[in-house]
This record gives sequence, C-alpha cells and structure tokens, in this order.
Amino acid sequence: MTALAPLLREYWVPAPAQQKKAVKRVGAPGVDRFDTIVDEYERRLYGFALRMTGNREDAEEIVQDAFVRAYRALAKMSPEQRAELRLQPWLYTITLNVTRNRLRGKRPTNVALDSLADPDALLRGSRHDGPAQPEKILEQNADMALVERALLQLPMHLRAAATLRFIEGRSHPEIAEILNQPIGTVKSHVHRAVRILRRILGPQIGRVVPEGATVHAMS
Amino acid sequence: MRCREVEALWDDIREGMPPLRAAVHSHLRACQNCQDLYEQYEGVAYCLSCLPQPEPSCDLAKRVIEHIATLQQKYRSTPIVLTWVQTRLGRIYVGYKGTRIAFIGLDRGDGPDKVREQIEHRLHRHVDKGQTPDWLGKVFDDYFKTWRVDEDTVDISDLTPFEQEALKAAARIPPGEVRSYAWVAQTIGRPKAARAVGQAMARNPLPLFFPCHRVVDSTGALHNYGYGIEMKARILTMEGYRPQR
Repeated sequence: MTALAPLLREYWVPAPAQQKKAVKRVGAPGVDRFDTIVDEYERRLYGFALRMTGNREDAEEIVQDAFVRAYRALAKMSPEQRAELRLQPWLYTITLNVTRNRLRGKRPTNVALDSLADPDALLRGSRHDGPAQPEKILEQNADMALVERALLQLPMHLRAAATLRFIEGRSHPEIAEILNQPIGTVKSHVHRAVRILRRILGPQIGRVVPEGATVHAMS
Repeated sequence: MRCREVEALWDDIREGMPPLRAAVHSHLRACQNCQDLYEQYEGVAYCLSCLPQPEPSCDLAKRVIEHIATLQQKYRSTPIVLTWVQTRLGRIYVGYKGTRIAFIGLDRGDGPDKVREQIEHRLHRHVDKGQTPDWLGKVFDDYFKTWRVDEDTVDISDLTPFEQEALKAAARIPPGEVRSYAWVAQTIGRPKAARAVGQAMARNPLPLFFPCHRVVDSTGALHNYGYGIEMKARILTMEGYRPQR
C-alpha cells in the first residue's frame, strides 16, 4: 500500500430529511382536508410501494388502501391524538403494513421489471446528467432496471430499510419510527441491505455510476 | 479504529458526526481494503438515490378521494337503527338497516349509548335509536327454534371480504357442533390464516347469527368469547353440544 492511499470518491446522495420537516400537524380530517394529505403524499407513498412490490398495479392498490385506512383511523382519533400525530412516518407505516399484508403468501415478484424504469423520467433529466442523448438514455434505463431488480431480490425487511434510507431519504430515527424498530436494528438492516446489493450489483456499480458523479473528494 | 467498527459508521457519517467522521476517514486513508468497500458502499447508495421518482396514474389521487367520499356518503346514507329485543339469553341489542340486521349485542349492562358507540366504531355508520319492528321478534323466535338464521335477514356488507367469508364459513357449522379456527381458515382457502380467522370471530358484529361460538381451538378447548367463556359454553349447551372428554 502506498504511504497515502488515493482520495476516496464521494457521491452526491440526497441528505436525509430533517426531523423537523417530518413533523406535520393535522387538524380534523374531512374530505376537504384529507385531499390535501392525499395530494401531498400520493407520489411519495406510491414510489415507496412500487419499490417494495415491483408492480405498478399492486402499488396503486396499496396506496389507495393505505389512504382509506389512514382516513378511517384519523376519523376515530381525538383532537389531541391528531395534534400529536406525526403524519409522514405514520403514513409510511400504514403503507408498509398494507404492503406486507398484500405480499404475505405471494411469491417474490418476477415481473418484467424493465418496464419499471421510466424513460421519460430520465429524459426529463435527473440530478446529474447533462444534455440527454438517446443511446445514453437507453443505457441508463437498463442500468436503473438493474438496480431495481437487485433491490427486489432483498428480503422485505431489508428492502424496506434500504428504500427508506436511500431512495426516500429518511433519517435513521425516522426509519426506526416507521418500522417500529430500535435505531440499532435499522442501521444494521440498512448495512446488511447494502452488503447484499453490493454483492448483487458487484462490478456493475462502476458502470452505473457516471464519472461526473464525483462531487467532492474526501478532505 | 478497527475495520469492523469503521464499517458500522459508514452510514452515520453521511449524517455528519464530525469527531467520528475524522476517525473513519483517517482509517480509510490507511486501509485499502476498507477504502474499496466504502467506495462500493457509496456506489450502492448512489445507485439507489438515482432511481427515478415513479409517477402513479394521473387519476390515482382522484380515485382515492372519490373512494373516501363514497365511504363518507355511506356513513351518512343508511343509518343503523338501534333497538332491543327480549330473548332466552336476556336482552339483546339489535342494529338494523332497512329490513336486515347488521349488529347484535348481548346486554352487558352498558346501556344503549355505549352500544351505539360500539356500532359506530365497528361499522362506520351513523346510528339512531328507534322502534322494534314486528319482523325483528320473528327473526329471533325462528333463530332460537332452529339455531340458524335466514341469510336474507342479515347484512354483513360493511365488513371486509375476508371477514365476510370467515363468518359465512362459520355459519356452515351445524348447531351443536364445533370446528377449529384452522378449519374455518381451510374452508375459505386461506389455510395459514387461522389467527386472522380468530380476529374476524372476535370482531363479529352478529354473534349467534354468525356462530363464532361454534369456533374453538384445535385442541377442542372453547378458547375465548366476547361475552365470556361461560356464555360460549351456555349457548353451545343450549344448541345440544356435548363436549368430548
């Protein structure tokens, strides 16, 4: 080994959401108020359900079911309970429970996941890419499908931890609250998920990660 | 710091823990193996964070709102009328919708207001106190003669499909006989759902009519009953059940 090893690459990964931001206070639910909750969280919960199931139809049904459950539960809560409620983690928890119920007994998904990666999303331009070129887009799309497929190979509890951490950008305490687990367990699950993904993706990681992704080297 | 300790902190340092961050970095600089692994770790995190935000169908939110509006409308539309009848088992509170019974509850001395709360909580419908129509007495007279109820006189449409199936399966158990939770689960094609069947029985809004008292555990023990295990034994005895010893 050289006296001073080369500097490490660090990639730009969205910072986990701040705790403060996650605290949402809600008032008495009615359809008029509840639709704002649906509008605000629909895409996020759908994204989470889709990453967990790998199936668009399942994900939409899960989101629908989760909102209905949330609505019913809110309707039964006292004003004090509603004021205390941390809406975002709670909605994730409900979505996860519905997902678990749905997937229980179902065999792991093996649908054609290539349809999952959305070419339009890449065309719209993600965080890092410059001007879009058709062949580049196709290649990136295939890479994203690879990552999606790898994620779906994880056991459900590890998939949930990795999805919440890296895709949804939640902090460890928030994930602990969503999964109802100690923070140490969450950390260990995130870590184990990454270890397995590292093994599955292996040498392809370098191919998926573009050179330009290096944002800053370690100081 | 050892390699293992450093590895456990990779995810933490992303959230910024300056003292440990420095220690982790100094270890990484000196350890090529950890450095390679760390790079792969960051690579995986990066790959996941790059997955595009998937878009649901454009009408998903609309469908959710409409579905909830339907539920609300349902809550307000057909209220449940609460009344009571006197039977061989004492006073029984009855909630009916039109000409069908949606809830029955043996009197535990709670009083009608408490029962009303229970029904609203369980069936998500508005409940009004009302009169006892003539047909109601006949339904109970017939029930206590045959220990069966005509399915046209009951309404379980407010329950989940699973609960409906479990209760209908329980209704196939002949009076004076018992079956296990596992048997019910098997009958509805969900052999692993014995515990869920237990939940459905515990939440049964029409005890007696959907005979959750005929569902016992796999050893034949009476297990449990919302009105107490003595009441379960009493109803079964009235039906002619003789426990096997």
